[in-house]
Amino acid sequence: MIPSAHGIPREEKIISTRNLKFTYEGGVQALQGLNLDIRSGDYVAIVGGNGSGKTTLAKALNGLLKPTSGTVMVNGMPTSELKVAEIAKVVGYAFQNPDHQLFCSSVEDEVRFGPLNLGYPEQEVRQKVERAIEAMNLGQLRALAPLSLRLGERRRVSIASVIAMDPQVLILDEPTTGLDAGESLELMNSLKRLNAEGKTIILITHDMKVVAEHARRVIVMANGRMILDSDSRGVFSDLAILGESNLEPPPVVRLAHRLAKHGIPHDVMSVEELVFQLLRSRGGG
Amino acid sequence: MGGFIDLYTEADTFLHRMDPRVKIVAVLLLSLLAFILSHLYLLLALLTFIFLLLFLARATISRTAFALKFVLRFMVLIIILWPIFDPTGTPVLASLGPIKITEPAVWRGVTSAARVGCLATVWYILMFTTSQRDLVRALVKMGVRFDFGLTLAISLRFLPTFGALIDSIKDAQRARGLELSKGGLLKRSKNYVAVLVPTIVSALRTADTLSLALQSRAYGARADRTYLRDLNMRPSDYVALAVLAAILVLPAFAKFVMQVDI
Ligand SMILES: Nc1ncnc2c1ncn2[C@@H]1O[C@H](COP(=O)(O)OP(=O)(O)OP(=O)(O)O)[C@@H](O)[C@H]1O
Ligand SMILES: [Mg+2]
Repeated sequence: MIPSAHGIPREEKIISTRNLKFTYEGGVQALQGLNLDIRSGDYVAIVGGNGSGKTTLAKALNGLLKPTSGTVMVNGMPTSELKVAEIAKVVGYAFQNPDHQLFCSSVEDEVRFGPLNLGYPEQEVRQKVERAIEAMNLGQLRALAPLSLRLGERRRVSIASVIAMDPQVLILDEPTTGLDAGESLELMNSLKRLNAEGKTIILITHDMKVVAEHARRVIVMANGRMILDSDSRGVFSDLAILGESNLEPPPVVRLAHRLAKHGIPHDVMSVEELVFQLLRSRGGG
Repeated sequence: MGGFIDLYTEADTFLHRMDPRVKIVAVLLLSLLAFILSHLYLLLALLTFIFLLLFLARATISRTAFALKFVLRFMVLIIILWPIFDPTGTPVLASLGPIKITEPAVWRGVTSAARVGCLATVWYILMFTTSQRDLVRALVKMGVRFDFGLTLAISLRFLPTFGALIDSIKDAQRARGLELSKGGLLKRSKNYVAVLVPTIVSALRTADTLSLALQSRAYGARADRTYLRDLNMRPSDYVALAVLAAILVLPAFAKFVMQVDI
């Protein structure tokens, strides 16, 4: 264990769940026994159809929901014994709808809200806020009212307000829905940079193109269970399991599968790879 | 999440099939009865009857737990608070400074709680067995203007959604390290700004979308709009009305004509 500044000691395995089950008050069994380890530096995508339990899982990982049975450990401590505010220092969670988080009169105030709540000293708050504003490219918007911004910008503010708490893990719930292609790409590039700087990213999404291009590991959820946990290449080489959970792989992956009998491998994930394989097979044949 | 957003739960019971107008009249009559009765035992009998109806509407515990819990909490609150604020009567069971707990006040508290339980449950049964479409349809047929009916339907429809929205927003801010119940009164009310502002903004955004949706579907284009489904009273509906009338007429007659204390 490496000692950390935030009280909860650091571990390689930042989050681990054992037989995690969660049942909502109405009786919906949203999580039915998950065993999941998130290691430091991971870039994990959680995919699955509507109602498969992705959001519930995210809320269980940062302690907003406590397990009905089983455990969620964050840096070796069970979330059932920690306050959400303590866990927030380690696991940040940007909600699906940014309008559920924004209330301040300027972007800068909004981003400050989290670190101030966590009680960081003024100097450190200022540093963290600056870094978050830079990471989400909000420099020009910092004095504006968050609620007056476009959806894509509001989402960046809400993500920045979580990054500013400087958590080791960043969970993002469908961050690209409602964004245009440009905004989406910009956001994904920012996340890639954060991951390269050492942040662990957990991305909940329906967008399989984003998954193919960014995630290193993919967890497929269906009916409150994990039906697949593999590196992203593994997921795209098995189209059957994606079909089962109503997920459509990106066109380039489907094309590669159609070309399988012409010698194109199953695990092509990007246009560049497909071009490379095509040229190679032509050169060979 | 059907049971959460809308209290209505689809099923095929005689209560679900009953004409919504009859159900509305029934609920009004039973509410009236709950006000007429002042004896605890009679109110408990009424409460039992109403719970029997709930049972007949195939309301399982899992589907009704959250509503019943709410009603129960409210009843417990009344039972606790009533004697504290009502010092009249003897004997005095306990006293603490200016607060006097008397036996009649305790009984009055329990009686009021039973009455509230009857009222809440009977209205809940109406919502549980009647789709909002039928409810509005019935009100309009009974002479309520369509705008009012629609407004009512929309409020009913969004009340639970609003609750869920507030929960979600609280969660969203807790994830940013906000501790709602921490600090003094001033700090706490400041904390609630972080919940209140997103709630209002989200509600307004919803209202905006909703009004556009209504307009784009030609709401208000014609005053004499037509309806897809018409309501028809069946023989069983008349029987239900007759039974209800009988249940109400007896105690009403006893109380107001014969001046019997019931
Ligand atoms: N607050 C709640 N109360 C009761 N049931 C809920 C609640 N929130 C979610 N559920 C139910 O739990 C199950 C899992 O929901 P969850 O929101 O985790 O799915 P999801 O994978 O995030 O779906 P989506 O892709 O639509 O966001 C669903 O059946 C849903 O109806
Ligand atoms: Mg979700």
